[in-house]
Amino acid sequence: MPLFLDLTINGLIMGLFYALMAVGLSMIFGILRIVNFAHGEFFMVGAYAYALTAMKLGINPWFALLLAAAGGAFLGVTIEKLLMRPLYQGYQSWSIVKDEYAVVVTFALSLFLIHFVDKVIGPSPFMGPSLVSTQRIAIGPIMLNGQKIIAAGISISLLCGLALFIKKSLWGRQIQAVAQNRFGSSLAGIDPVRTTSIIFAISGMLAALSGALLAPLMNPAPDIGSFPAIKSFIIVVLGGMGSIWGSMIAALLLGVSESFFAVYVSYDYRDAFGLFVLIAVLILRPQGLAGQKGRQS
Amino acid sequence: MLKHLSKQLLLAGALLLGASFQAGAADPILIGISITQSPPGSVVQGTQIKDALEIYRDIVNAKGGVLGRPIQLVFEDSQGLPEKGRSAVEKLITKDKVVAITGSHQSSVCLSEIEVAHRYQIPYVNTNCWADSVREKGHPEVYNTSPYNSLVAKSMADTLKAMKVKRVVAFAENTDYGIGLAKGLGTALKATAPNIEYKYETLDRASKDFTPAILALKANPPDVVVLTMLPPGAYIALNQLYEQGVAPTAKTIVYDGAGMADYPDFWQNVKEAGKYLMTIGMYHPEMKQTDLSRQIAVAYKRKTGNDPNRLIFQAVDSLVVVVDSIRQAKSTDPAKMLAAMQTGKFDGARGMMNFDSRPGVSYHQWMDIPYVNYQLTAVNQAVGNTTLLQGPGMALNVNKLQYPK
Repeated sequence: MPLFLDLTINGLIMGLFYALMAVGLSMIFGILRIVNFAHGEFFMVGAYAYALTAMKLGINPWFALLLAAAGGAFLGVTIEKLLMRPLYQGYQSWSIVKDEYAVVVTFALSLFLIHFVDKVIGPSPFMGPSLVSTQRIAIGPIMLNGQKIIAAGISISLLCGLALFIKKSLWGRQIQAVAQNRFGSSLAGIDPVRTTSIIFAISGMLAALSGALLAPLMNPAPDIGSFPAIKSFIIVVLGGMGSIWGSMIAALLLGVSESFFAVYVSYDYRDAFGLFVLIAVLILRPQGLAGQKGRQS
Repeated sequence: MLKHLSKQLLLAGALLLGASFQAGAADPILIGISITQSPPGSVVQGTQIKDALEIYRDIVNAKGGVLGRPIQLVFEDSQGLPEKGRSAVEKLITKDKVVAITGSHQSSVCLSEIEVAHRYQIPYVNTNCWADSVREKGHPEVYNTSPYNSLVAKSMADTLKAMKVKRVVAFAENTDYGIGLAKGLGTALKATAPNIEYKYETLDRASKDFTPAILALKANPPDVVVLTMLPPGAYIALNQLYEQGVAPTAKTIVYDGAGMADYPDFWQNVKEAGKYLMTIGMYHPEMKQTDLSRQIAVAYKRKTGNDPNRLIFQAVDSLVVVVDSIRQAKSTDPAKMLAAMQTGKFDGARGMMNFDSRPGVSYHQWMDIPYVNYQLTAVNQAVGNTTLLQGPGMALNVNKLQYPK
């Protein structure tokens, strides 16, 4: 029973981290219909921004967390403006957007960011400072890391906040409108370019924040982004491409099922398990848990 | 004024011309270096090896080089990937025309690179590939100054036997090195301490969460958790073992089989979780120092600000073998260099090296690699201040081993 509890709670916490990473990727796909292959590097930049500002500049870790989030948002907006906008600017329909170039552009960006950080900051992994000094806390039979509890709490707040923002706020409704029909939304007076910028800012912010929160747990190195990126792609497909709620549910499911799979089936194939799921979903239910069939034009 | 200036220019031109003639007369000897300089491989190891090789190159060249010619290192980036390593070595041999290859530090990369060196019959000195299979291939071009899994496994098995433990679980990264050492430890334990219950779990080295594998040990923790993993995965595993309260405890100790405790980034990445770690070390300041090792240590500290570790001396020793084989053969002809390696003795940073010729894991291996076992007993402890459980060539003293209260 304690093992069952341990696995469930740790799986849920990992699922929350996965969700924070994957939601931004899902939002970009929902709006632009492109896959951002540099999404993992937003995570890496957040982890480095947090750890470096806190450790080298001596800034309070909570403030460093905010700086990392702001840095991720800024990076997202900059990349959208410089690299993404030329792919869709001037097109009223997504059917003629240059999405094949987006694959190349984001993949190149990913490689550039990895090697840039490797050369400028260095290859060594380093653990970011914890937001709390307690390295482990016993809650009944469950042993948890203090940083993990805080990171999970922040993840829940952010994900709930994001869901409310998308559903209730004016910008959120604009995002929904652009996702449904870019041309139609522009006829209704919504600026799709600005909305796309907002999406990239949110996506960058969430990924960077996720990196910052996990920096004390995952010892970031320049190539750390590949881990969240792969998980995020699986979650986005499992949840339904473009569906934020689907991504959240898929992330939690993946986190918990990976935990149990590792212990009761095989740890060797634990990470491969996600890929089995990906293949199964693509064959049996390509639209995912909460996605819609077919692509909208 | 102008006349004076033109005279100076003329003189400078003549000097340059003279220098270029002299350079022509002493063309550098090119030595190929294949290391990881960018991800996904261990760039940390690659950087340490590069620094060490450059220091030794400068020492050799400052003394007039070898056979009157300076040595020049030609670096290629293997990225820690076997296919990249293979093409790097192919390029070094066919395009750069290097006389020998060295520097490699990841077993899977070595295994692909030695095939190319074997095809072209070019000397290949293994710096840090521990997998036994690198030796077992029996390629006559391959010489090994690196530690090897069987040596480490035997030493670890002896230590575990002396500790009188009952259950041991190893976490092995999914590489030739990690799985090879974990399997080797199983074999060595069967031979030396068959009563010890042993199993190993393979972990993905790219993973960031090993909690499920650790949670499975929580109900009935083993006496020792052995790590045959390299950073950053090893750091994460160590932190998660500590976080879950599995090890270190009054019952369970962690035993590192990769010698990671002397990595410059070790304490920054593990903090409290590193305390009580027991480790096998291929370098310890209490080991016998040679003139060369002292010289290298000073130069390395000056160059990087860090204390040297075993990888620095391993890298230097592999280049010592290449350079001295040229000196002993009085030639850069690969066949003559290989003959010199076969019979020669090489005065390295870790002692006098020579190579065994028995087939199997001993093949072209320097067998007398010094090693120690030590335990870290305080956070941020320098290697020199750790508790030495077994000095080089000495018996293990497990009574010094400390457990958390």
